[in-house]
Order: sequence, then C-alpha cells, then structure tokens
Amino acid sequence: MATSAIGLFVDPHRALATAGRLKAAGFATIEVISPIPLEGADEVLGKKTSVIKRFTFFGAILGGVAGFTLAAGTAVLYLHPTGGRPIIPFPPFLIITYEMTILFGILATVIGFLISARLPAIRERAYVPEAAIDRFAVAVSCDDEECLDRAASLLRAAGAEEVRMAASRPTWRLPNEA
Amino acid sequence: MPAEVASLRYADVNRDVVRSLVETGPKYYITLACALGLTLVCFLFPWFYQLNLGIAAAGMNHPQVWGTYEASFIFWIGLSHSGTLLSCVLHITHSSWRKAMYRSAEAMTLFSLMVAVTMVMVHLGRPWFIHWAFPYPNQMELWPNFRSPLLFDVTAIATYLTGSSVFIYMGSIPDFAAVRDRTTGWRHHLYTLLSLGWRGTDTEWHRLGWAYTLLAVLIIPLAVSVHSIVSWDWASSIVPALHQTIFAPYFVVGAIYSGTAGIVTVMFLLRKYMSFERYITELHFDNLGKLLLALSLIWTYINVLELFTGWYSGASTELEALKYKLFGYYAPLYWEMILCCAIAPLLLISKRFRTSFVPMLVLSIAINIGMYTERFLIVGTSLSRKYLPDAWGLYVPSLVELSILVGSVALFSTLFLLFVKIFPSVSIYEVKETLPEAAELPKPATAERGGVQWQPVQ
Repeated sequence: MATSAIGLFVDPHRALATAGRLKAAGFATIEVISPIPLEGADEVLGKKTSVIKRFTFFGAILGGVAGFTLAAGTAVLYLHPTGGRPIIPFPPFLIITYEMTILFGILATVIGFLISARLPAIRERAYVPEAAIDRFAVAVSCDDEECLDRAASLLRAAGAEEVRMAASRPTWRLPNEA
Repeated sequence: MPAEVASLRYADVNRDVVRSLVETGPKYYITLACALGLTLVCFLFPWFYQLNLGIAAAGMNHPQVWGTYEASFIFWIGLSHSGTLLSCVLHITHSSWRKAMYRSAEAMTLFSLMVAVTMVMVHLGRPWFIHWAFPYPNQMELWPNFRSPLLFDVTAIATYLTGSSVFIYMGSIPDFAAVRDRTTGWRHHLYTLLSLGWRGTDTEWHRLGWAYTLLAVLIIPLAVSVHSIVSWDWASSIVPALHQTIFAPYFVVGAIYSGTAGIVTVMFLLRKYMSFERYITELHFDNLGKLLLALSLIWTYINVLELFTGWYSGASTELEALKYKLFGYYAPLYWEMILCCAIAPLLLISKRFRTSFVPMLVLSIAINIGMYTERFLIVGTSLSRKYLPDAWGLYVPSLVELSILVGSVALFSTLFLLFVKIFPSVSIYEVKETLPEAAELPKPATAERGGVQWQPVQ
C-alpha cells in the first residue's frame, strides 16, 4: 500500500509554497526533498532545532577531562622525576587536553549528526531520485487512502509536474533487487 | 560569475561529476600504473632495504639525526594544512568560490597527512615498535612521556587525520546519494553504503548544515595547533637557530603557504585532465593567486624576522648559525629557497599572471620545491652548527633517502588518483548552490508563498 504522496516541482519556490499550504490544510508529516539546501524550508515547515550542538559541547567537555586524565594518569603510573619538576605539569598536559577536547568534540558531532538526521536509514523511506538532480519534491505521509487522495489532489492543484504514490520503499533499487 | 559557469544547468553538474567517476580512459590507467610503479620501486623497495640493513642505509649521522625523512614529514604535514583549513575558513566566511574546489583540496589534506605519517614510520629505525608511543598497560610497564612534543605530535596528528576524514566524508554524503542513483554494479553498492540512505529532506539538510559548520569551527583551531606542535619538536630543543619563539607562527604560515601552492597544482591537473574546465575557472586561480601573494609576503617577513632575531641577540652561537645559514655549506639551497618562495611569487601582483594557468602551475611547483628546501634547511643547517665545534657535522642524503623522497610524491599521487575515481572530486550540491538556475526562475506572488521570502543559499 502506498503511504506517501509525492509531488515533483521544477520551481523551488512553488514546492515550498505548496508545502506550506499542505501544512495549513492539516497534514502532519510533510517533507521537502531537494538537491540543494533550501533556506526558506524552516519558515514554511516550522523552525527546526538541533541537538547536535549539545553533542559537540558535552563531547568536547568529556574529551577535555579524558585528555587530562590520560596525560596525568600516565605520568602517575610511570613516575619520571626530572630536575624537581612536578609529576603532573600543567602547561604540556594542557596541549594534550586541548587536542583531546577537539577530537571528542568532532566525534560527538558526528554521532549527534547521525542520530538527529536519522542516518543511516535502516527502514526504507520514500525517495525521489530526481530530487538529487534538479527537481524539488514535496512528500506527504498518510495512514489511509483518503488522506493520500486528498494530498495528491492538492499537489496536482498546486501545479506539480508529476504526482507519485510511493510505499516507503526507495524507487532507485535495481530490478534484480526488488 | 564567469559565463562558462553560468551556462551550467543542475543536470549538467550531476552528469559531469558522474562522468568523471565512471569514464576512465587509457591515459588514466597509464598514469596510475606509473605512480604505482614508482611507489613500489622508489618507496617500498628502498624502505625494505633499509629495514633489512638497518637505519645506516640512510645518510643520517651524529649530529644530523633528522635528515630528509623529517624534512619530508614537515613538508607533507605542511601541505596538508591548506586543504581542510582553507575549506573551513571559506565555509565560515560564506565564500562561494570555495565550492568547486574544496573537495579535492580536502583530499589533498587527507593524503598528505597519510604520507607524513608514513615518513615518520620510515624514519623510525624499528617501526614495528610504534605501539610504544601509545599509552596502554603492558607487561614492560612502559608508558609514553606526555611532556614530550613528540607525543603532542602523535595526539595532534591523530586528531587532525580523524577530523579531516570526517569533514570530507560528511560533506560528501549528499553527493554519494546523487551518484548512487546514476551508477550500477560495485559502485552502486559502494555509494549506497557510503550515502547512508541520504534523501535530501529539509531535516537532513538542516542537520548537515549544523554539523558541518560545527566541524569547521572545531577544525580551524585544530589545524593551527597541529603545525605549531610540529614546530615545537624543534623549537623546544636548545639548538641555536631552532630555539625561537617565532617558530610556531613561522611553521603555520609556511604550511598554509605550501598547501595553497599545492592546491593550485592539484586544481590545474583536475581542470586539465578531468575536464572540469567549466567548474574550476580563472576566478579560482585569481583568488588562490592573491592568497599566495599575501602568504608569501608574510612568510618573507617572518624569515627576515628570524634573521634579525638571531643577529640582534648578539650571542656568538646564534651569529655563527646565522653566518652558516647565509654563506655556509647549505647557502645555495638557502638562496634557492629565497628565490622560489620570496622573489618569484611577486609575479602574482599581475592579474594577467594569476589568471594564466600554466605559469601558475610552474610557480606553484616552484614554491613547493622552495618550501621543501626550507624544511630541509631547518633540520639540516641548525644541527650542523651547535654550541661546540666538536658537535658540528655535515649531512648529505643517501640514495635511499632521495629515492624515498621521490617515492613519497608517487605514493601521494597514487592515493590521489584513486580518490578522483571514487569520490566525486567536485561537490555536486554546493556547485549547484552557486548556479543561477533556481534563483532565476520567476518567483510566485508573495501571497501564494504564504508570505515567505525565499532566497537561494549563496
């Protein structure tokens, strides 16, 4: 059974406007699929907030603590007294702390990105190969046929070049994999 | 925007980039075979010979313990500096000319870092003990000394390598998805895996934008710290002419300088041999030329400052080191470096020169030869004049060392040649953002758009 109605547009403005109109008509799950990031998408589909920066922040803090612990812990495990200098000297260990702060910050950002963008895609999702080239697609997910029909007719009325019904399975699969 | 770029349509970008991946002519295979052959003959064989015979196969001696291996290490680390760093800075400052060239510049970073790490392995007499540099509990109760700049190096370079890999990969995810749809066979499977199921929804773009910018912000200070730390390998010693506070900025500027020259070389080759004439244009060469000119002036200033600091100190050891540098055994190399890196780049003042492709290629190679010489002089001249005359000594690289130097260039070329056939070497979606196609379409009336002002991202 089809679960999404997807309208393809040539014009990004029209795609965005249609997404806005569908949202106003009460459809809950609307996605704009585009070959480039569209700046107006936030204003049409609602402001998005992202948890990635929290991941980065706490990852970096964790990295700082881990880096200093690594350097200090190593120094304590292998005592190497040199000329009355401290066993845990701060200036050189701050460099290790700094590098580890950045390393953990980077890795946490990646994890945050994957989680918040829901990647890698484990379940199959509605997809339009043309939207990776030069078409702007508006995808509406529905639970029942009636909702789908209504979405499709709204998409057609908005001037969609083509309206597709898609099950949540990608259309780019090779025939022998189907 | 140049006319050849403005005439591109979105579909052209996809087609051209996919073509650069799948259409491979005999020229490419011949070049790859040559690079691979050179890597084998000039890099791997001499290295095995050295492993077999011992480190004496290299011309290093006392006091010259660094030699060309360390010079190559600094050189390759330096070359890695411009790619990711420049890409991050230009991303943060919204410079749209970055978009056609950043992917291959970042790849340059990645591969030169790999070659740099390999050079360290070559320099180690017993590379199979490299794990001793890592802190882990072992029955010898042996732990590394984190007070040493060499351990700072290990940490910084490992972080930079991780950061650069993640940065280039994350920026490529949408492009993997785009080429996934247009390829078949093993490529299709590879890109399906690499694209992680990217679809290009508004949520995905939003998350990618955030993550990418955060990474860029983290990587800029990281890159600066990496070469500062490399400089401390030398500057934290007490050898005259090495023990200088200017070393960290000197190394960082030198690194960005040689890296930018490296980008010019790579851009020329990509443009010519991968048919990216419509993407990499005079504009890129013009901008890179301006950057090179500014960097060469800063680099020259720091060099003069280095001489001045030595002279002004009045210390006999510093004066001797200075005299030796300018007029001693290695003086011809010093003046060659000045010619290549300080005098020749003045040609970049002329716009005609900056927008001529072949002269730019020649200059960029000359700059990198000069920069290699600079690194050799840093490790070579300083160690040959230390405090007491009985610690003085000359160094001439052996055939094994020279061969490995040539081989390292071949190794880098091999990695890069493999890259251009696997990664989309021009960013599809970011080039599209700069195209007028979406922006030029007539905008519907405001009411129809629900009062929303839509602007294409520039």
